[in-house]
Amino acid sequence: MRDTAKFGSPINLYDASDHDELRILLITGGWEVRRSFNQIGIQPGDRVRVLRRAPFGGPLEIDNKGTHVAVGKQLAEKIRVEVLP
Amino acid sequence: MKVALVGQPNSGKSTLFNAVAGYRSLTSNFAGTTVEYTHGQARVGGAVLELVDLPGLYSLTPTSAVEEVSRDYLLAGDWDVIVNVLDASQIARSLELTLELLDLESPLVVCLNMMDEAARKGMTIDTHALKIALGVPVVEAIGARGQGIIETFRAAQEAATGGHRPQAFIYAPDLERTVDELAEKIAEGAQGQPVAVPKESGPKSPESEVRSRESGVRNQESGIRSQVSGHSPALDSAEGTLECGGLTPPWNKAQEEGGVKPPHSKALRAFSCRVGQCSSACCGHSPAMEGQQGPRVTAAVAVLPAQPPSILPLTNFQATPVQSQITNHQSQMPAFPPARFRALQLVQSKPRDIPMLEGAADPGLRKPDSAARHSSLVTRHCSSDPGPRTPDSGLSLVEWAQAEIAVRTGQPADAAISAARHAACLTLFERVAHVARPRADWREQVDRLAMHPVWGYAVLMGVFLGFFRLIFDVGKLGEARILNLFDVLVAALAQHMNPQGALFAAAKGAVLGTAGAVAIVLPYLLPFLVGLAILEDIGYLSRVGYLMDAAMHRLGLHGTATLPILVGYGCSVPAVMATRLLTTRRDRFIAAFLAVLVPCSARMTVIFALVGFYLGANYALGIYVLNILVVALAGHALASIWPEISPGMLMEVPAYRVPAPRVVALKTWWRLREFVLVAFPLLVVGSVVLSLVDYYGWQHGINAALSPLTALLGLPRSVGLTLIFGVLRKELSLLMLMQALGTTHVLGVMTAAQILIFTLFVTFYLPCMATLASMVRELGWRLTLAASTALLAIAVVISLAARGVLMFL
Repeated sequence: MRDTAKFGSPINLYDASDHDELRILLITGGWEVRRSFNQIGIQPGDRVRVLRRAPFGGPLEIDNKGTHVAVGKQLAEKIRVEVLP
Repeated sequence: MKVALVGQPNSGKSTLFNAVAGYRSLTSNFAGTTVEYTHGQARVGGAVLELVDLPGLYSLTPTSAVEEVSRDYLLAGDWDVIVNVLDASQIARSLELTLELLDLESPLVVCLNMMDEAARKGMTIDTHALKIALGVPVVEAIGARGQGIIETFRAAQEAATGGHRPQAFIYAPDLERTVDELAEKIAEGAQGQPVAVPKESGPKSPESEVRSRESGVRNQESGIRSQVSGHSPALDSAEGTLECGGLTPPWNKAQEEGGVKPPHSKALRAFSCRVGQCSSACCGHSPAMEGQQGPRVTAAVAVLPAQPPSILPLTNFQATPVQSQITNHQSQMPAFPPARFRALQLVQSKPRDIPMLEGAADPGLRKPDSAARHSSLVTRHCSSDPGPRTPDSGLSLVEWAQAEIAVRTGQPADAAISAARHAACLTLFERVAHVARPRADWREQVDRLAMHPVWGYAVLMGVFLGFFRLIFDVGKLGEARILNLFDVLVAALAQHMNPQGALFAAAKGAVLGTAGAVAIVLPYLLPFLVGLAILEDIGYLSRVGYLMDAAMHRLGLHGTATLPILVGYGCSVPAVMATRLLTTRRDRFIAAFLAVLVPCSARMTVIFALVGFYLGANYALGIYVLNILVVALAGHALASIWPEISPGMLMEVPAYRVPAPRVVALKTWWRLREFVLVAFPLLVVGSVVLSLVDYYGWQHGINAALSPLTALLGLPRSVGLTLIFGVLRKELSLLMLMQALGTTHVLGVMTAAQILIFTLFVTFYLPCMATLASMVRELGWRLTLAASTALLAIAVVISLAARGVLMFL
């Protein structure tokens, strides 16, 4: 899945390749999900980068303007991103 | 003067707090939460400040219990000034809370902490530009090195005494109209209510006299200010009546009584800003503000009498429940929290029908969540109903506003507002901060190893093995020495008392109980707590959470719960205490349960001395393997009984930091103090009771009472008392077993099968008294009782199963 990601086509954050420049398009999910992303400073429009991922379906570590955040798999799958060239 | 330290988690509030409040600080707890406020006092520039260190919160719309406590405290308004501590290296994100705090339109000082960290990230921040943009004082600081701390608190003092109220930051001009309309309705609603008359309750305390003296000074000042600023007080008060009702923060009450009203009507201020009458007191846009305020305020501080410590005894710092604070400050005007703030919070609150539309978890399983409580609390603070339902649409005013915003922006109201705030923060960030290429950093290299999919786990193993090694080496050293000391004490007692008397038995029990607490637990607990505080401060615990998240999901927990369970192999007491790192009560309970299920080192001695010695090391290892299976099963079972609400891990991975010795020492001391207060009395009393049981020869009765259990498990009747002793201290069950059986050669009295069953039962049944005490402390009586019952049941089932298997063989 990860290799098929093309520039501009929306994918979910968990499927994005490591170290690609990404832009968050949409955070799906309910009030709590939006709230918790908002609190940790992640919003649609932000440019983020996947730094690394833990094995066995573990969380991703993403970089958002210098803040490093661990995002669990289920939550990462709720974020739609586009790959920036 | 009360200074509330507010900031996002990990921004260094506590470092700032500890730097000035020092060891005189103490903790107090609010019922129902394990969240702590830390109160302390500090003498800054001749005046005594009362500091309140609030738990970190990301925003004023909280999602966890921890944040709720902070938010409730802030909304109760029982403070004079907020110091908003920011991690300068995370300024883009941190500013979001700052903008929300500005909405409170109350004295605020921004402290840009960790400027060194920002520089390391290649970031330069234009503090002056930020000051102008926010309209509040901004102070640079490096808390860990003690830089900028005094300046911060001095600025806070000036902000509180200066009477300057910052203006709310307008971040969503297109949404503002809807919010304003709602705010107006709220203000009107409040106006319609009977206005509470402020009354003094009881005789004036020395403290309130000091307050009124202070306010006298403040009144003079605000009088001067209003003359200088050219604001017509009459106009102000005319506008002000619009917003009356609700709560008044103390700093305003004094001014109202003095007959001077601060310019608090937003519309008026906005107007005067536009027409260029903007005054320093109005919105702080004028750079002259500093020049004007500086000398005047320092003079005021000099006028203030230095408060003698007797006026502020430490006992006065006991936190009072938020509720009572709310009712205490019923007064005329202006409303607190401000109408606009309430309107914004209401608009962001959770729409009631959305969970159904989204098909969220079964409502029956949902506890009354923070969102619902949030909106009810905001409503309560609003002192007005969200609004009468409009007859045609059936929508409340809030729902109307939410729908209006949703239609205009094409997204839910809460998302629209937070997106607008976020965008404002980014704009602000781009205006005040410049990011160059970050300096090459060893931290990234460390993470490349410590968070590596393979090497990360090797590092994890290494760190924890080293950690336990250290704890047990230090612990063993201390234990033997302290135990010797108590032996001497018992011998001395025997000389001075009748060794045959009941009194001696009781005294001996008390001494042995103290010995158990001091010599067994402290030597292990103290190094553990120091190590835990260090690991926490370095930032390694977040990495552990990241690495173990996937594995812990199988136990129905998140990565953060790894630590308590690992620690459980050492000692259950600190393991239970470590569950405090988890955010929800559910996670805390499951983690604590699994942590006490894991055999601690005391149970390890029983396993190895009995099963390992008499049956062979393979059997001992087998018990450990069985235990891991039981832990996994129990985790699964608990996760299905109490399903998870939170959707997954979302946790900041902080930059590595060198731990500050002072912070480590204080953290250790507070945690240790709690343990000492809760567990020591229980251990001593329990020990005295058991000595008396022994003295009066009641053990036969106890053995008889426990005979159904011992018979069920096929154990000798005389081990009954041993099991009771095992609850007091796990190692005791071994000693007592030998004493009860009257021999150190256990195999001669018990069969191999009996030894195995006995050990299995001791491994799984109730945790020791000290652990039970800390479980009560962390989880409450009810959950502790439930956990104990479940543990006992597990122990019986496993022992019976073992008996069945052994009989079959």
